[in-house]
Amino acid sequence: MVTSRNNFCGRTRREFLWQAGAGFTGLGLTSLLEGDGFFSKQAVAADGVTPYVNPLAPKKGHFDGKAKAVIFLFMYGGPSHMDTFDYKPAMVGMDGKTIAVKTHGRGGHKNEGRIVEPRWKFKQYGESGKWVSDLFPNLATCVDDIAFLHSMTADSPIHGSAMLMMNSGKILSGSPAIGSWVNYGLGTENENLPGFVVMLDPTGGPISGPKNWSSGYMPATYAGTVMRSQGSPILDLERPASLSQDAQRTLLDSLAAYNQVHLADRADNSELAARIASYELAYKMQQHAPEAVDISGETQETQNLYGLDDLKTAEFGKRCLLARRLVERGVRFVQLYAGGAHNDDNWDAHGDLEKNHNYHAGRTDKPIAGLLKDLKQRGLLDSTLIVWGGEFGRQPTAEYAVGSGRDHNAYGFTMWAAGGGIKGGMSVGATDELGAAAVEDPMHVKRLHATILKQLGFDPNRLSYFYNGLDQKLVGVEHTEPIEQIV
Amino acid sequence: MMRRSSTLVTAILCLSTVAFGAEPADSKVDFGRDVKPILARRCFSCHGPDEAESGLNLADKHSVLSAELDSGLRAVVPGDLEQSELLRRIASTDEYERMPPEGEPLKPEEVAAITNWVEKGAEWDAHWAFRQPEVVEPPAVENESWIRTPIDRFILSRLASAGLTPAASADRRTLIRRASYDLTGLPPTPEDVEAFLVDPDPRAYERLVDRLLDSPQYGEKWARHWLDIVRYAETNSFERDGAKPNSWRYRDYVIKSFNDDKPYDQFVIEQLAGDELPEKTDESIIATGYYRLGIWDDEPADPLQARFDELDDIVSTTGQAFLGLTTGCARCHDHKIDPIPQADYYGLVAFFHEITPYATRSDQQTNNQTDISPPAVQKQYAELETAIAALKGPMEEIEQRGIAKMSAPDQRRSEGPERQKLLERKLGGYLENADLERYTALSAERRRFQAQLKALPDRTLAMSVAKCLPEPPETFVMLRGSPHAPGDKVEPHFPVLFEAKAPEFPSDESGSHSSGRRLTLAKWIASPGNRLTSRVMANRIWQGHFGRGIVRSPNNFGQLGIPPTHPELLNWLAKTFVDGGWRMKPLHRLIMLSSTYRMSSEGNEAALAKDPQNDLFWRFDMRRLTAEEVRDSVLAVNGRLNREMFGPWIYPKLSQEVLAGQSRPGEGWSDSSESERNRRSIYAHVKRSLPVPILSVFDFPDSDGSCEARFTTTQPAQALTMLNGDLLNEEAKLFADRLRNESNSAEGRVRRAIELALCRPAEETDVERGLDLIGTLTASHGIDEDRALDLYCLVVLNTNEFAYLD
Repeated sequence: MVTSRNNFCGRTRREFLWQAGAGFTGLGLTSLLEGDGFFSKQAVAADGVTPYVNPLAPKKGHFDGKAKAVIFLFMYGGPSHMDTFDYKPAMVGMDGKTIAVKTHGRGGHKNEGRIVEPRWKFKQYGESGKWVSDLFPNLATCVDDIAFLHSMTADSPIHGSAMLMMNSGKILSGSPAIGSWVNYGLGTENENLPGFVVMLDPTGGPISGPKNWSSGYMPATYAGTVMRSQGSPILDLERPASLSQDAQRTLLDSLAAYNQVHLADRADNSELAARIASYELAYKMQQHAPEAVDISGETQETQNLYGLDDLKTAEFGKRCLLARRLVERGVRFVQLYAGGAHNDDNWDAHGDLEKNHNYHAGRTDKPIAGLLKDLKQRGLLDSTLIVWGGEFGRQPTAEYAVGSGRDHNAYGFTMWAAGGGIKGGMSVGATDELGAAAVEDPMHVKRLHATILKQLGFDPNRLSYFYNGLDQKLVGVEHTEPIEQIV
Repeated sequence: MMRRSSTLVTAILCLSTVAFGAEPADSKVDFGRDVKPILARRCFSCHGPDEAESGLNLADKHSVLSAELDSGLRAVVPGDLEQSELLRRIASTDEYERMPPEGEPLKPEEVAAITNWVEKGAEWDAHWAFRQPEVVEPPAVENESWIRTPIDRFILSRLASAGLTPAASADRRTLIRRASYDLTGLPPTPEDVEAFLVDPDPRAYERLVDRLLDSPQYGEKWARHWLDIVRYAETNSFERDGAKPNSWRYRDYVIKSFNDDKPYDQFVIEQLAGDELPEKTDESIIATGYYRLGIWDDEPADPLQARFDELDDIVSTTGQAFLGLTTGCARCHDHKIDPIPQADYYGLVAFFHEITPYATRSDQQTNNQTDISPPAVQKQYAELETAIAALKGPMEEIEQRGIAKMSAPDQRRSEGPERQKLLERKLGGYLENADLERYTALSAERRRFQAQLKALPDRTLAMSVAKCLPEPPETFVMLRGSPHAPGDKVEPHFPVLFEAKAPEFPSDESGSHSSGRRLTLAKWIASPGNRLTSRVMANRIWQGHFGRGIVRSPNNFGQLGIPPTHPELLNWLAKTFVDGGWRMKPLHRLIMLSSTYRMSSEGNEAALAKDPQNDLFWRFDMRRLTAEEVRDSVLAVNGRLNREMFGPWIYPKLSQEVLAGQSRPGEGWSDSSESERNRRSIYAHVKRSLPVPILSVFDFPDSDGSCEARFTTTQPAQALTMLNGDLLNEEAKLFADRLRNESNSAEGRVRRAIELALCRPAEETDVERGLDLIGTLTASHGIDEDRALDLYCLVVLNTNEFAYLD
């Protein structure tokens, strides 16, 4: 995982050393080459930094972060905040009333609409007394671990650009996903697994597919890797049929022998040595990655906790369980998509709100609660930041003349975070009494990004990458504050 | 030490370049090259254009050289090391005094560079790239016998003053492989290699270079370099990521331009203003597809923002591609480091402002497709289309009356792609009789016209600037970059740093396609007097051959870029390029015939210790094959590469797992026939949201922005693709089939595999190792002999020797 590009890197020496990371453990290269004095024969740059560095070797942030890993539960399509976690008593009894309210969704800008009263009852839970709708009876029992962000805002209420915004901080494609930033900043603790893993809904990927986990202008090394919960977990991880592990070992030994002869006259080129090492790492990944996604060793009790015993919750439950296993094994950033493809295959409830949200909440409520509880009982919640939310929320009013469907709403919506140093039982910000727009402490998506980076040990305004003449940042060029109230 | 490196080492490299820059052969201190980049990087954040703590702004000549600081001291007193507070502070060992206060101190060589500058009089001259280039004669050298072209003089004189000697000449076998990949992206055949080795003609190498330059594959290789720079892709990105029709004609235009050795000035003018040329041609119109290659959101949340994002893509790409200037910062404020005020950014916007947006959601053709069919065909189409368009309004009126009565889900459907189906199935049931009758009649008429349309010969369309706004809109500086906050009005003008004459525009005739502003800009960019254009392109050509430019930041010649390692050579090359009529092939020739290019890539300890990054070109740098070269070579060595050129894109086979990442798996991707799939990678569909794994894993660039230089990553995903992927396993088997056809013995097959894939005869140890592998696989792993040979071929295609060039 060597990267070379002859471009400028306008970084301070401190950042530069920080990027150099903790050493040369990556790829097992040290053990491969140290024995024959490879490193001692190498010329070393004037400042003592040895040339070979694995960009995914574990690195230190700007300071010690409270979180080691992030699990981003992406409720693709945009869950309705006023039907889930943003309690709006003022709307009760208002169903069908036409009111003046500014909205902007896929249907364009509107100035009035017909109220769709929230379709689920809300109750208070936990010591903190947080309001949660009946859509999430299991998750409701975890509210004391959760910080609700009720005043999120985003730049776009249109899926394509809003997905890019939530994932990369920009409404235009071409910038790295947040997982890529984390990969770039922290590397991976387990070289046998990717540092940034994406697990998709069985109905399909989200709109724009791989753009959502692309490394943009950064090297592809930092891009997300799609892992599957069924079959071979990673693309091309599986040996060709008819090739046993032993036979493949024989093949690799032969390859290594050819490569060693070639290397002998070119020992000063560490890329060649790195490429040799990358084959060994690939071989190791073949042994280890399948283990990471094999849940046969998990107790029945654990499996049930995630809802694996119920057809409705088994699919998402398994991915939540795998997310925990990946985090335990050192993966830094796991993104799970709840919902895929288009329309009612995800939370995009334009038609029948009740049917849509009952379905999507129904298949995720227990698994997510299970994940929080399981992480907590294993002592992992303190170091694992869970983020829940979609690319936007939904409007208080109906989209069409008939029915309960709600259009998109980027003026105000709810997300929540838990674990990884986040204070539980908290709420920050508020929308107006209809949930149409954030009115108290509005928080742009960038602030959520800044908070995630901060919990991982970065000053979000300093984590930068030089491209197109600018020090690019996930949070943009303007100073962005993390949400200090919840950390 | 490695030859090239990690991002990290790129950092070392920047710094070491600075170090070398501090004591160049001419030993003249160059403020812009040697000093200002250090100040910009390490000091500007507190003592720069934004903040001038303690009264010191290091970006300002007066503040540094003449003004009194808050402390009453002077930052720099030219020639006086003692009185220069700046020097005292950067060199201080007292941590309360030392600057910068945070992070590491300046490196000794950085302190030395600044000290040297003060000592020699602290001349405050402009950044090297923004001055009129001075062209010097190629220097005299002692070792005349090494000189083959004037390039060698520049290289050797620098090597000599650093006490280095150039590496020996590479052997012919290395040279033919190197030259073939450099110029065609393909390996030479064993027959080519053999013929070259035994060629007694002293001009054999020269003839080889000429043959490769004349081959059609040259254009395919070098067009790809250009396509990286202009963010070439064939879809729009965002939710629908729709295809850009006929974008491939632009790709073909670039290939042809390189093959025809089109003068670069013409190439520039055609792309920027091919539609404004008085003698425009189909080709020059296709060239303006340049403007249509970027990302485009068909459903923007903020249309005005999207409009300015689109213009920014054009300004930013044009600045980087043609001028080596990154103007992006100046969209929101004056550039902090380079002398690019915000007004200059919007002055550039003004040149492009009349270009229509790529499209609208309902009409994705008018703005970006020019009909280049024969005039008679165009006329027939126009007539029928007008007739059909006239029916649209009355029909929609009736449709809406029906839709209004439908259920909410159906109303929703009526807004999407299912509309037509819905109308056909249900509309009748919701219409009053009179409406229904009239609608039926209109439909029949429309069908009739559509049938006639279908019977016409196909139109030829070109993705291009098909339409401009009727008048160039007024352009304003947008405060903080917000399109909703217009400030002062600006006229189109060239950036002030060029100190150019104000542009003169043709009088805008009413009814004309456009104002001619872009042609004015294009001619200025492509003029021999432009300070950057020729140097930027000469640098790119150099980069194509040596893996890195003389300026290592080819899109950024500004002060945040990396200073040239050989500024005199760059100026000389640029002048030679322009004097030769901006033709690229003579420049390739000049470079490739040099001793510099012909050096071996072998290391030597003394040179590695002195110049580990090969800043001075004491040897040739090894390089890995590019993504396209990897795939094309696999196809070439088993004899299956389809060399057919040009035309619509082809679809490489993608596995179900890859397609599963899409929201509609398989959408926008098709199957191509096997022979089409075997065409060169440059013809593979570039779909922004669906990168082809075999290419992206080997660093095919993200195409949403200009790519100045590709990354070279080494990662296990590459090994998995090469070992386990379907493509490699299928091709390895076909490679083995070829060997089985060409030789009867296992030994013969192993030998042939090495020859074909590695362009050299097999050594005895190669043969032993190959036979040994085949033997072990058959004896101990229950694999039959054919399959064992397949696997041997897989090994050969995975070797470092296959993937790397000496």
